[in-house]
Amino acid sequence: MGSFRLLEILAGFRAIISFLIIIVTWQSIASLGLVPEKYFPSILAIAAGFRDMMMSGELVSAELRTISRALIGVASASMLGIGLAVLGDLFPSFRRGFAPIAALVQPIPPAALVPMAVFMLGLGPKLYAFIVILVTVWPPYFNGVAALASVSDVQIRTGQMLGLSRWQILRQIKLPAAMPEIFAGIRYASSISLIAVVVAEMLAGHDGLGFLLIRKAFAIRIPEVYALMFVCAVNGLIMNTIVNGLRWKFAGWQSRMTGQAA
Amino acid sequence: MSILRSRQGYSALVLPVVLLLAWQVLAWRASTPLFPGPWQVAVSIWRLYPQIVGQIGYTLMRAAAGFFVAAIVMVPLGILLGRLKAVGSVLEPILDMLATLPPPAVVPIVMLFAGTGDAAKIAVIAYAAGIPLIMNTYEASKTLHPMATLVARSLRLRRLETMVFIDLPASLPMIATGVRLAVASALLVSVTAEMLLATNGIGVFLQRQQENFQIANGLAAIAFISMVGLIVNDLVQRLERRLLFWHYRSTETQNDR
Repeated sequence: MGSFRLLEILAGFRAIISFLIIIVTWQSIASLGLVPEKYFPSILAIAAGFRDMMMSGELVSAELRTISRALIGVASASMLGIGLAVLGDLFPSFRRGFAPIAALVQPIPPAALVPMAVFMLGLGPKLYAFIVILVTVWPPYFNGVAALASVSDVQIRTGQMLGLSRWQILRQIKLPAAMPEIFAGIRYASSISLIAVVVAEMLAGHDGLGFLLIRKAFAIRIPEVYALMFVCAVNGLIMNTIVNGLRWKFAGWQSRMTGQAA
Repeated sequence: MSILRSRQGYSALVLPVVLLLAWQVLAWRASTPLFPGPWQVAVSIWRLYPQIVGQIGYTLMRAAAGFFVAAIVMVPLGILLGRLKAVGSVLEPILDMLATLPPPAVVPIVMLFAGTGDAAKIAVIAYAAGIPLIMNTYEASKTLHPMATLVARSLRLRRLETMVFIDLPASLPMIATGVRLAVASALLVSVTAEMLLATNGIGVFLQRQQENFQIANGLAAIAFISMVGLIVNDLVQRLERRLLFWHYRSTETQNDR
């Protein structure tokens, strides 16, 4: 355990080192004037832009909107995906009927949905929920179906031998066994959800980080644009942390059994 | 046996048909052009398909250009980073961070440097396709079997030769996964980029339909996008199976044992 800690600390340092390298390279490019300063502001200017947006409160409210939309969308998409996967596992004919629908809906880009959905759903939370769910439900669903189908026969037979009902086998044996794979799907879904929300906000043009990005870009407030991109990247890290925490709760048995860190 | 199979075929059709009918009924009850049913969409497809196919052609060309730019830059870079461990491990967190940045968020910056022409759109697509490519290539060449390196050394290959003849082929199966993700995201992002940086392409077509309140036409375009996405993704998978037959053959025989 001790050596493991040390590695973790070193890994943390590595991130800091590479972060410092970015800042130094960025700053030297900016101050050498290789790129017009208007387009490539210094770190200080970006930090100032960040501070201005924090002070005016627009960043905080946009950030809260964006991340809550993504979180609500992913949470409901995961629940729906798992539910559909369970349905597909109980009724194979449902799975077969759902397959062509999934194959056709999956490749639709979120951007293409926005203009049409605005008319039907307005600019409120319904729009974002619809778009995020339609885009992110597939990874948990597909992984769930595959994982539920591949639960080992021995485990199911053991459950039957213990006199568990079909429902109990599903809840106590199959779902926990499928959770690690489902969470791999949710992890992927969470990264697409942020993309979908930002795209939708850019196109719907009402509020949120995506809207703020477009508005600052058209107002040629370049330092603010870079600061917002940084916030977008940090959002990805936040989502990852939340999903990893949940995975530890619901699928932690796997990491504990195989002895690997999450 | 054949009866059983045809019955299974029917049951697979039931759900889509029921959904289409439900949609049609809802559309009838709403009876507004803002909520068209599948029938109106089919009519739009019939009326507009030459135009839609033409616009999708532009979109696909741009997606392909972006993808190839990304592949030419990112695959060699990924192998290089995997080989030069020190550089790779320092740059890895940067890659992780870029991977969490949604591709549309780079649009405003690209707009500054490249305007709103084809170059800008191709740059955004290349960024979106490049991230999965470099992540997978880097991961593959980093975790290469140590034996491969030893073989390279005993053959007295130079560094560049090792990268071309050993690292690249050995990383191909994982690069293929990256290619699959990259193609999918190139298609997604090309539509988005067109909507934000408008000139032509299916994204612009969609927006024009929205501005004219022609929802059925828009849904017709979406149907085409989804068909094209389905076909392209399927082609990529087939191509991967054909080109990497040696990889699949070896994993299959391993499973047989």
